[in-house]
Amino acid sequence: MDSRKRSRSAHKVDFKSWRDFTPMNTSVGTMLHNLTGTWRYVKPCYEDKTPACQNACPAGNDIEAFIKLIQKGDYENACRHLKCEEPFPAVLGRVCFGFCEAACNRRVLDEGISIRELERFVGDHGSPALRFPEPAEEHGKTLAVVGSGPAGMSAAYFARLLGFRVTVFEKEPEMGGILRLGIPAYRLPREVVAREFEGLRAMGIRLIPGTAVGSDIPIERILKEHDYVFLGTGVHASLPLNLAPGAPGPGILSGLELLRKTALNEPVDAGPRVVVVGGGNTAVDAARTLVRLGNEVTVLYRRTMDEMPAHHEEVRDAQEEGLTFRFLASPAGLLLYENGRIRCVLCREMELGPPDRSGRPGPVESDRTFELEADTVVSAIGEAPLFDYLGGRLPAENGVLAVGDDLRVHKIEETPAVVYAGGDIIDIPHTVVHAVAAGKRAALAMDCDRLGIAWPEVLEEIRTGDGGALSFSRYRGLPPLNPVRMNLRKVVRHEDMVTDYFMEAPRVPANRSEADDRRNSFAPVSRTFTPDQALDEANRCLHCGRCTECNNCLVFCPDLCVLPRGDGRFGYEVDYDYCKGCGICSVECPRNAVTMVDEETPVDLYNLITPINENFP
Amino acid sequence: MQELIKAHRELVENEDLVLPGLQSCQGCGAALAMKLALAALGPRTILAMPASCWGVIIGGYPYSALKIPVVHLPFATAAVAASGIRAGLDARGEKDVEVVAWAGDGGTYDIGLQALSGAAERNADILFVCYDNEAYMNTGIQRSSATPMGAWTTTTPSGALKQEPKKDMEKIMLSHYVPYVATASVSFPDDLVAKFKKAKTIRGTRFIRILAPCPPGWRIDSAKAVKVTRMATQCGIFPLYEVVDGKTRVTVRPRVKVPVRDYLAAQGRFSEMTDGMMESVQSWTDVRLKDLEEAEARS
Amino acid sequence: MKQVIKGNHAVSQGVRLCRVQVVSAYPITPQTSIVEEISELCAQGKLDAEFIKVESEHSALAAVVGSQTAGVRSFTATSSQGLLLMHEVLHWAAGSRLPIVLANVNRAVGPGWNIWADQLDSLSQRDTGWIQIYCESNQEVLDSMILAYRLAELLYVPVMLTYDAFFLSHTSEVVDVPESGEVDAFLPPYDPLFFLDVENPRMFGGMIGPEHYYEERYKMHKETLDALFRFPEICGDFKSRFGRSYDLLETYRTEDAEMILATAGTITSVSRLAVDRLRGEGKKVGLMKIRMFRPVPAEQWRKALAGARKVVVIDRNLSSGHGGVFAGEVKAALYDLDRPPRVYSTVAGLGGRDVTSEDVAGIAEHFLEHDDKEPLYWGLKKGEPCRN
Repeated sequence: MDSRKRSRSAHKVDFKSWRDFTPMNTSVGTMLHNLTGTWRYVKPCYEDKTPACQNACPAGNDIEAFIKLIQKGDYENACRHLKCEEPFPAVLGRVCFGFCEAACNRRVLDEGISIRELERFVGDHGSPALRFPEPAEEHGKTLAVVGSGPAGMSAAYFARLLGFRVTVFEKEPEMGGILRLGIPAYRLPREVVAREFEGLRAMGIRLIPGTAVGSDIPIERILKEHDYVFLGTGVHASLPLNLAPGAPGPGILSGLELLRKTALNEPVDAGPRVVVVGGGNTAVDAARTLVRLGNEVTVLYRRTMDEMPAHHEEVRDAQEEGLTFRFLASPAGLLLYENGRIRCVLCREMELGPPDRSGRPGPVESDRTFELEADTVVSAIGEAPLFDYLGGRLPAENGVLAVGDDLRVHKIEETPAVVYAGGDIIDIPHTVVHAVAAGKRAALAMDCDRLGIAWPEVLEEIRTGDGGALSFSRYRGLPPLNPVRMNLRKVVRHEDMVTDYFMEAPRVPANRSEADDRRNSFAPVSRTFTPDQALDEANRCLHCGRCTECNNCLVFCPDLCVLPRGDGRFGYEVDYDYCKGCGICSVECPRNAVTMVDEETPVDLYNLITPINENFP
Repeated sequence: MQELIKAHRELVENEDLVLPGLQSCQGCGAALAMKLALAALGPRTILAMPASCWGVIIGGYPYSALKIPVVHLPFATAAVAASGIRAGLDARGEKDVEVVAWAGDGGTYDIGLQALSGAAERNADILFVCYDNEAYMNTGIQRSSATPMGAWTTTTPSGALKQEPKKDMEKIMLSHYVPYVATASVSFPDDLVAKFKKAKTIRGTRFIRILAPCPPGWRIDSAKAVKVTRMATQCGIFPLYEVVDGKTRVTVRPRVKVPVRDYLAAQGRFSEMTDGMMESVQSWTDVRLKDLEEAEARS
Repeated sequence: MKQVIKGNHAVSQGVRLCRVQVVSAYPITPQTSIVEEISELCAQGKLDAEFIKVESEHSALAAVVGSQTAGVRSFTATSSQGLLLMHEVLHWAAGSRLPIVLANVNRAVGPGWNIWADQLDSLSQRDTGWIQIYCESNQEVLDSMILAYRLAELLYVPVMLTYDAFFLSHTSEVVDVPESGEVDAFLPPYDPLFFLDVENPRMFGGMIGPEHYYEERYKMHKETLDALFRFPEICGDFKSRFGRSYDLLETYRTEDAEMILATAGTITSVSRLAVDRLRGEGKKVGLMKIRMFRPVPAEQWRKALAGARKVVVIDRNLSSGHGGVFAGEVKAALYDLDRPPRVYSTVAGLGGRDVTSEDVAGIAEHFLEHDDKEPLYWGLKKGEPCRN
């Protein structure tokens, strides 16, 4: 029913004589002439917002949209929506820290959504060659990316979509950076990484492995031959364990090195009893790798599990696989055999003290010690980037490259190259998704630079939520999944939802292999969701801040002013001729997708977004 | 999607039985109640409407916002006039048209009670609907015997809040041994629609009382009308149940429960209730809920 | 066929002959046997009607408002307190333009409980918009039922027919009860202009503002006044079928009368005897019987009474603070004459006190000799008070 017709069919009668009056006081028409819309001072507006999960995601993934597409069985488009904001869902679904899940509003109702499992599912089911949107027409500007880890590949991917001609230089024989050489295969299989890279290559990104910038190609040449450069070289140097007596000798390995060798199928001289020092993912990855190589492994961490940077799920999986964790313990020294090989590690018990620079309770040495027999010690207490390849051309402070808000490092005077950097070489958290977000940010920044658009103005338009995530879709003017007005900045948290309308449903558990099976191989520790599992889990999504056409607004409007748009079109229209602005639709929307706005606000419900670079000359 | 509301189907199927231009206030629960009830009842329905808010909401001569026949009636007569209409329709052979008395709490609990009792005792074949906003709202918020204990109204003002508990209209109806008695709420549309549909299939006197919020009378923001009404059921003050031929069944057990205090605190009309009064209301509610559970267990 | 029946029975026969389909009533002395007889007729299948046994008179008329709005010929009967209780709904029924017929047994108004003849009950409803007909005999009661439905359904105005408690309600008289077929020919089935119809949904009644109320009321008033023309026409048709004559009023020996008595109800019957006796004594006295009281047949009253010098109105009712109701209305109607007769008011027979032909003759003789400005309270105990 087209509501615009209703007021048009209103008519008033004008009796001129008593004879015109109806016998028996009967009515002759409707009340449609009574335009009750004139009563209101606020009015409802369908306005999609940013859910808490998307807000928490450093890359600003449109999680709600891809889950909605899973529910519709449209995996291809689900993959597309993810690929608007990140280049490899199959990877992130397996290795992402999952800030989204920690923020999921459903946790307050029962359990949060397994977003990563769904992302993985979509990544595995969508074809890797799929790219969305279509890459823009090449404009002739070139980008050189140094390092094929998540930061570099993300920059390459988004720059390519923006029409840059992109070349990626990777010093290792295999592409992928930490994805290939840092994260063990049981978490991220090689085939998955290779499949994603095939897709990236098919987009027209030139991939050049086995070529080290600095040694094989001087940085000068890179700077001279390209308009833009992105540095994503990652971390390589393990922080040393300062253990007496003296410099580490045989038997002390770096965690990073261990992982790299294993990834390249090179032999590792360790064990059979190994102590891994550290609490981050590198430590746990190294430890679990060592278990699979047949060793007996203990992890020493100077704080407790609550303060560990590593994901608790990893720790749990590791414990199931036979790893021992000694919390509140720190290595104080090594006891050696005469031949210099390690006999045991002298450990000091630690206590938690007042918070330190990281904001966590600081470790305080106690005077108690104990000995752990070990053959090898693995150092995984932190990693740092190496900047030799830059030859001093660019400023590094505190071990990282200093960058601006647009991730630009420097404009080099002698060459026109504008240099950006991202990932573990700048001061951001060391996670894959932060690296991906950085690559995206740099690509957007370089496109603005190319066009001469002021970055702060663009930021205003494309920031998602209240964190640092940016919306590539918004930049490109891609329509959101729901063809309604979108307010990217407004975040919907659980207190903004009406959870009364939702029924409890248990989370679909991951398809984890048995611990015994896991510890004996590098096969993946879990299998991807089946389509049924994906649907069941996707059905639990509350779609915070996004209209799902649930009809609550239609059902609860006392004045019959919310009508389906009909003809297969999405959503509802409000009959503003009669809407009194009571606000019930807004309050009863379970997911806060209806906003009451001032009566004066022009409400063009369906003004779809136009690309930013069409707005600017 | 796991939405809880399915009533939109009936609303779309029977759209246009109510047209906008209603003279109701913003956020009117009575308007919402009518919309939902007619969606369930369909076009072959006649309303007998005594004085009440709907007498005004429907519009003034010569216009009507409803696309079904409606006859306005003197205040006290809804049930008996409906009974007369039924006799007339039967004499004309129109057995499939439903006669519905649509009265407020005044026209049910107070001035209309005698006629309602008479009709119920005769088991007149009518559906009597009381849309209960808990005071004489149409004449400006004066107390009725449906006004809850502790409420402010213009005739139970500050310092003289209503002391008496709300009359139990369902028990009164059940004392007449009628075949169907039910409570319904605008905040639980599927339950309301199901009850109206069920009532349509039963012959004899059927009574449904709908809790219908009144933002000006309850002193709440119009936007919160449905939410506050939902809380009435969630706190147990307004349980949703039906009694079919004497057998009681609780029809909605809300997943979310709130304390009575929260429901009372959400409304300006209860803002002067003392703690003692609130505790009274809590224990009164607990006792009645227990009665209801026992009645269901016996059924 | 001639039968010897009581007034109440005449009513119930009228209900049967008019094929009423819905009846609703609440018992009150002396109407009760109407209710009982209708129940019997329904139980015996002689009347195909639903009888809604309500819990009060207010509800009785409301039930009938309901059924009539649904498009079905309906009936109720009451008396005294019951009629008073119906008052709100009487206004409603007339304003709704529903052709309901109500039989009211004229009984005194309480307190205390007086169950005998008095006309104040129906007269105090004279502003409600109902057509009012005052009957003198059981035959007239039965015939008026049939005439009432025909008139009501023509004009969409409800009709109240009244007759005296016990003198008619419980007294048997000879009544020629017509055959069903004859009545059917005179009174076709009710074919309503508007009714509650899901095929043609409308709202009936409802809020009406100053911009519309006046015309609706005027229309009602104007169309009620049409009864003054339609009723005589209908009576003409009735006469041709059933042989009995009725009109807005009746006159008896008024052609050269110097004094005309005006009466309503059973006092009329004894007044005829009084007129005959006085005529026998050479006194030029006549009688006007008030039959239709609402709408006021003012023109017809003027014509009937203009020739006399004196008009004596006998009221079996007393409107406290005002006087006899008929007297006031007759006086007002005659005011427009250039040389109206003097109107003298008598109040007699309140609460069922008997009024005989001797009483009427006495009243007439009194006014033949006197020119009282004050009303005459015939029969009032006026002796020395025995208590202070």
